[in-house]
Amino acid sequence: MSEKVLELKQVTIKFGGVTALDSVDFHVNRGEICALIGPNGAGKTTVFNVITGVYPATSGEILFKEKSILGLKKHQVTKTGLARTFQNVRLFGEMTALDNVIVATDVHKRTGLVRALFGTPLNRREERSGSERAHELLKLVGIDHRSDQLAKNLPYGDQRRLEIARALGTEPEVLLLDEPAAGFNPAEKAELADLIKKIRDTGYTILLIEHDMSLIMGISDRVVVLDFGQKIADDLPTIVQNDPRVIEAYLGVPADAS
Amino acid sequence: MANLKSRFNLRDFGANLWEGWNRQTRVTFTLVLIGLVALLPFAASWGPTSFLNTPITSFENVLVYPVGMFVLMALGLNIVVGKSGLLDLGYVAFFAIGAYTQAIMSTTLGWNTWEVLPFGIAFAMVAGVMLGLPALRLRGDYLAIITLGFGEIIRIVALNLKITKGPDGIPGIPNPPAILGLDFSLENPSHYFWLVLGMILLVIWMIRRFTIRRPGRAWEAIRQDEDVASLMGVNTLIYKLWSFVIGGAVGGAAGVLYASKTMVISPDMFKFEVSILILGCVVFGGIGNIWGVVVGASILAYLPERIRFISDARQLVFGAVLILMMNLRPDGLLPRKKREKLTKRGSL
Amino acid sequence: MNFEVITSQFWSLALQGLALGLIYSLVALGYTMVYGVLRLINFANSEVFMFGTFATLWVEVNLLGNPVATQPLHGFKLVGHLVLALVGSMIACALLAVLVELVAYRRLRARGASRLSSLISAIGVSIFLLEAMRIFTNSRPKTAPRLLEKWTFGEVAGANFRIDTMLVIVAPILIFILLDRFVNLSRFGKAIRAVSLSEENSKLMGININKVVTLTFMIGGLTTGAAAFLYTTVYENTVFNVGFTMGIAAFTAAIMGGIGNIRGAFFGGLALGMVEQFASAILGSQWKAVTVFVILVTVLLFRPNGLFGEAVQQTRT
Repeated sequence: MSEKVLELKQVTIKFGGVTALDSVDFHVNRGEICALIGPNGAGKTTVFNVITGVYPATSGEILFKEKSILGLKKHQVTKTGLARTFQNVRLFGEMTALDNVIVATDVHKRTGLVRALFGTPLNRREERSGSERAHELLKLVGIDHRSDQLAKNLPYGDQRRLEIARALGTEPEVLLLDEPAAGFNPAEKAELADLIKKIRDTGYTILLIEHDMSLIMGISDRVVVLDFGQKIADDLPTIVQNDPRVIEAYLGVPADAS
Repeated sequence: MANLKSRFNLRDFGANLWEGWNRQTRVTFTLVLIGLVALLPFAASWGPTSFLNTPITSFENVLVYPVGMFVLMALGLNIVVGKSGLLDLGYVAFFAIGAYTQAIMSTTLGWNTWEVLPFGIAFAMVAGVMLGLPALRLRGDYLAIITLGFGEIIRIVALNLKITKGPDGIPGIPNPPAILGLDFSLENPSHYFWLVLGMILLVIWMIRRFTIRRPGRAWEAIRQDEDVASLMGVNTLIYKLWSFVIGGAVGGAAGVLYASKTMVISPDMFKFEVSILILGCVVFGGIGNIWGVVVGASILAYLPERIRFISDARQLVFGAVLILMMNLRPDGLLPRKKREKLTKRGSL
Repeated sequence: MNFEVITSQFWSLALQGLALGLIYSLVALGYTMVYGVLRLINFANSEVFMFGTFATLWVEVNLLGNPVATQPLHGFKLVGHLVLALVGSMIACALLAVLVELVAYRRLRARGASRLSSLISAIGVSIFLLEAMRIFTNSRPKTAPRLLEKWTFGEVAGANFRIDTMLVIVAPILIFILLDRFVNLSRFGKAIRAVSLSEENSKLMGININKVVTLTFMIGGLTTGAAAFLYTTVYENTVFNVGFTMGIAAFTAAIMGGIGNIRGAFFGGLALGMVEQFASAILGSQWKAVTVFVILVTVLLFRPNGLFGEAVQQTRT
């Protein structure tokens, strides 16, 4: 019943003398919310980067719906169905919130320069539908009232939400969220948790990097733990929470040291 | 965190005014404006505006070159530099390719300007692709150096090939044949001006259409954050290439027209300086902003013709303009609109 | 295309290529070091070079009183005049380089301006200096007095060992050795290397970035000034736009050696000098600039790391 929609097989990345990822091997099932956690520098964002084609893998394989996406260019990866947000918000600051999302919806359009120049019926249809979809997504994350404001002028929380809306604009099947709750207060985190669940329930699969344990425990179906570029745990949240190796990785001391 | 700067921004003032008008007002305003500009060739002989007259070359000729041509080329370069954020220091290459295409084809094959024009544009576009494919993978500064090199290579090639007749250049290029009752002999520079004006309007129309649709959004995304743009699905290489090619096409078209008017061209008309002059126009007016570029190019092209002192030290002034603009007013005279519309909304 | 020269004039071309290449490496330092600390191209370095050639001339003619048609000097007087001209050129260039940094880059850096803005600003400075000199010299080239009699003290396999060629080979090597020791052993040198690796961390360690940047520009100016002196001594004339082609060549040399890599600049310059000399002999000298550009494009596309250095970054996430 569970389809492995995203799979990393023995992925290793070496930069010069540094091994950022060491034979990392895990998968995400369709419809899951899978959390990727680990201490700072463990390699979590590196995983996102190698999936989305920002870094080349030194060895290993990455499969999306059973097909290899290794070596694809960034925009090709997105077109295939994976989209992400960023640890530090990276919006198109000088564009409106709406335009940020519309840019994302452009990826599946067929209008190119020629059709744009002549304003063909197809172009006009796609423009309309793109704009409508963008509004929908902004409503979904709760910031449609700010659609005409410049992204850089939005309050921090709304910027994070906008990033999610933008990523959704590319019509992904898998959404990669990189610390979406960073800088949120508990109330905002709870809202975000609900939003993520709502998104998943709409049919998306989510891979999520986070530091906030309660957030993760509350919504994740599975948790993958990285430390120094290696996977040290991959299981249900409650099991991982009590795994001594995980505790040691975070605290630096063995769980039973006194 | 909203930006509360209340400094008067001419661009935004104009834009807000424009947005307040209905379609009829907008059309009327545009037509009146175009009409007034079209009357410019007569300004030097009309009393109240005769102060505009230029000492060395007649005002009508100045309007064609350098003013009209610089505006046209600045618009073309603006697509590359302003929209996509790619620094092209060799824009003169496209201009040269257009000019030499006209020169060679008209003198050896006997074709007229209108027949050569599509070829001039096509060759410039091909050059854009050939330059762009390797160069656009590189980062900004390196792209700049490579484009500079390209511009120089074109000039050196023109200097050394038999077909381009080397340093003496190619004389005897015919004027364009008459269209719509306008003949393009040397006694009618105003006819050339209207032709260039027509091309400028066409280019502006083209740029506007791109801007509010997918290409404009893609370029803007690339300019703001290229890596994120590609992660959001924008095929950055293709769009950067397109901006190069379209910018090149405009430069090529300008070159064809230029050769037809001056009737003789030589490699020293296509030096690195020209690329810098055009860049100066774009920077001065406001990178990315069509109206800024038009106004900036007009001013920078016109002033040296009017004020002798500046003319002798034209490059010096340009260098100073670049330094001062970047340090003091990097957004240019008319800064890029703060809230550029990238999708169609409203009645127009 | 004359391929025959490869065999008939091999050593002569090689020697000339060596000399030319070493001049390139000195100027390349101005580009590579600045790039190392600022990640920006020091566009105006070409005009710093040009200024150095004129400074050399000025010192020799005006300061030391040698009219252009003078007889060559000998002994201590010769050495003294040459040294003064060299020092004069180096100081003039160092000062101009620091001025360039202040005008073109400093304010923009403080503001966190985009690279495009910095590059355009530097281009503006470059154009300004170029034009200023053009107006000042009325576009006319200037000749240098021949202080050093160019006697040939030997010939090996067709290569003439002239005294000035020897000077051009020995001096840069000495300069590079000195610079290498400075950068690796001195406190300032360590600071430069630290900023090259990470500006953020250097700031955290209490290093005054502005001082380091100024120092880097200054060193680049000194080496470029030395190159200008050597150039003037060999070619005995200069013109307002001599910097343009030199700049492109030196920049290419810096890229070939790996931009940011000081030792790389040495070898990059050598390599370029050699290739250019041979290509010029084979294809004819009018294609020199094109050859250099083609090399630049090829290196940037296929070996962007240069022969030794850091990768030209294409993405950054």
